[in-house]
Amino acid sequence: MSGHVAPKKKVSDMKRLWGMAIDLDKCTGCGACQVACSQENNMPIFDDDSDLPKRVVFLDLMKVTNDNDRDAKFGDVKVAYLPKMCMQCAGNDPDDPQPPCVSVCPVVATDVGDDGVVSQIWSRCIGCRYCQASCPYEARVFNWWKPRYEGSFKEGLNPDVSIASRGTVVKCTFCSHIWKRERDRLIAKGVTDINAVQYTPACVAACPTGAMVFGDLKDPQSPVYEEKLKRDPRAVRLVHSIDALRDTNPAEYERRTKIKNYPNPKVWYLTSDQWLREKLSGFKKS
Amino acid sequence: MKNVIEWIKNEWNSYSKNMRIALAVLFGLVALFGIFAIQILFWGLGYTDMNNNFAMGIWIIGDLGLVALGGGAFFTGFFLYILRVDKLEPLINSTVLLGFMCYLFTFILLVFDIGQPLRAWFGYSYPNWGPGLMPQSMLTEVVWCLTFYFLVLCVELIPIPLKHKIVDKIPFFHYFGHYLHKLMWIMAAVGTFLSFFHQGSLGGGMWGVLYAKPGWFRPHYFFLAIVAATAGGTSFMMLIPKIAGRIMKKEVAPKESFMTLARISGVMFVFYLIFRGYDLYSLFNTYAPLADRSYADILGGYYGWWVVIGELLLCLVPIVIFNVKKLREQEKLHFAGLVSGVAAISLSKVEAVLHGFSVPNFSWKGFTAYNPTVQEWFIFLGSLACMTLIYMAFARFFPLFPHLEKGGHGEGEATA
Ligand code: SF4
Ligand code: SF4
Ligand code: SF4
Repeated sequence: MSGHVAPKKKVSDMKRLWGMAIDLDKCTGCGACQVACSQENNMPIFDDDSDLPKRVVFLDLMKVTNDNDRDAKFGDVKVAYLPKMCMQCAGNDPDDPQPPCVSVCPVVATDVGDDGVVSQIWSRCIGCRYCQASCPYEARVFNWWKPRYEGSFKEGLNPDVSIASRGTVVKCTFCSHIWKRERDRLIAKGVTDINAVQYTPACVAACPTGAMVFGDLKDPQSPVYEEKLKRDPRAVRLVHSIDALRDTNPAEYERRTKIKNYPNPKVWYLTSDQWLREKLSGFKKS
Repeated sequence: MKNVIEWIKNEWNSYSKNMRIALAVLFGLVALFGIFAIQILFWGLGYTDMNNNFAMGIWIIGDLGLVALGGGAFFTGFFLYILRVDKLEPLINSTVLLGFMCYLFTFILLVFDIGQPLRAWFGYSYPNWGPGLMPQSMLTEVVWCLTFYFLVLCVELIPIPLKHKIVDKIPFFHYFGHYLHKLMWIMAAVGTFLSFFHQGSLGGGMWGVLYAKPGWFRPHYFFLAIVAATAGGTSFMMLIPKIAGRIMKKEVAPKESFMTLARISGVMFVFYLIFRGYDLYSLFNTYAPLADRSYADILGGYYGWWVVIGELLLCLVPIVIFNVKKLREQEKLHFAGLVSGVAAISLSKVEAVLHGFSVPNFSWKGFTAYNPTVQEWFIFLGSLACMTLIYMAFARFFPLFPHLEKGGHGEGEATA
């Protein structure tokens, strides 16, 4: 049996805790983030990419509607588009992160770094898909077919991201290869403090409306300062309704987080639409 | 070579017409298994109906079912060798063989299921042990425990072919088999210990630890799976010899062996039903609400309510039949109890896998469904066909049922 091991504080120079915030009020659903991510991370292209459940993408642009989908009056049908990638879950305690998907891997092909990013090593993965079963955000994808790159696509491949084999699970790693590139650039300039390294993932860089921002959740100067996000009435995290208790009933919040782990994602969504906040945060009970 | 062909011809002609049809179907399934196995191993899992949302399917159900039912071997072995319930002796050879095959085919199905079978050894070379003594990943535990238990089953199985008349005449094999047999109680103890763990981890713990998935999460699922295996497994260990007996038109084991095991199975089903009741109660009242969801909603979809209700109803059949002396002694009812018991535990595995995956993760999505492709069906059915053929071969050529030998109408002699 696994069971939880006593929390161990990791000693590390890394002080950053990367996170993202996506302002759905600004998002137009253009899909530039998805295209940029697919290009940056060498996503394969298949003859039939209409087979959505088997498609290989790190960033999925999900369509969310309110329940008035058909037969509703004009204006009552609401639609939003949701760029959804790996939420880099921390579990209850970011100092001792327990993402849902990491402890389950039988061969340690996935781990969580001291910057909070959940890594995935394609070449270690045996493709058991147990991590896919454990992920509540459907963020992990499996290479059902051999990845193919037709014609000129081959020339556009990114040498910083390895090509996955058929039969392995891959996922968004917050573009950690870009972090490494930036680190190397700084080192070349003589800067050796890893906390000085800042970077922008491909999806964030591609967003034409500036709806996506990225940074250090612990840094008060960062656009994704967590303490500020927690107090933002527009902010919500995906299927994470425990957040609602934090202010309304702190005692119950404490009690629950003691008896059960929660994913505690590092991607926040911002929206002023009440219906959308409700949809994103959890399920309506019948 | 000629002799072999001649022998096969004679063998084939010695069967009845029905038997020949059955054999033809089984060999046909095995052939299709081979063809589709090549396709899956060389061209990948794209040919299955599994997808990123429904990441596991019929093969994992097969694994869960085989391990739970095959787990009857450890429980029966425990009663015979540790608790010394000698009445079970006539059934033990068949039990060990069934356990061995269930575990063997669990491995085989797992090889198909993982995307990179050539990396399967990573499970041994890079196990996810975590910082403590216990493995961190339930699958790591499954891999190691299954391997060791499989080795134990091998040791338990070897004496059976060694008892074959010709082999037994060679002194080395005679004594080797004899001493292996003496080791049996140690093997049974080790096997019980090992099986206890992977029953729990593959059958339940693996799903119960998925804390972010309210369709599965419950810490006690590990223990529920062990009870399920003891209940369903013991029924399975009676069902197969019963069917074999019907086909061979012989009494393969004394009635009191069956009755003893039926009583054990009946009691375990009572435990299982009580535990499952508590399980459902806790899902409704504790675990689903912890995720701010209602279990009544979660139980929707294609594999929700009806599967759970079906499972509970099927459980009642062996409980009533096996625990009432008058009922369990009636041949037909006894058989009905066995079928229902095995079906109940199999259904619980269907629920664990299919329903768990079909539960929506997002509020704007609905329940999903899964419809295995021909490749998945034939690899699954082909595995069952292989198992059936191996069992038949053992029943025909080896002393699988010592009771038959005692009665002086053993099958082995005819062809030896
Ligand atoms: S979103 Fe899924 S893959 Fe990403 S860290 Fe969380 S559980 Fe793991
Ligand atoms: S699919 Fe790969 S990464 Fe996921 S649990 Fe299995 S081996 Fe680990
Ligand atoms: S952070 Fe990088 S890998 Fe993740 S969704 Fe954005 S572009 Fe893709």
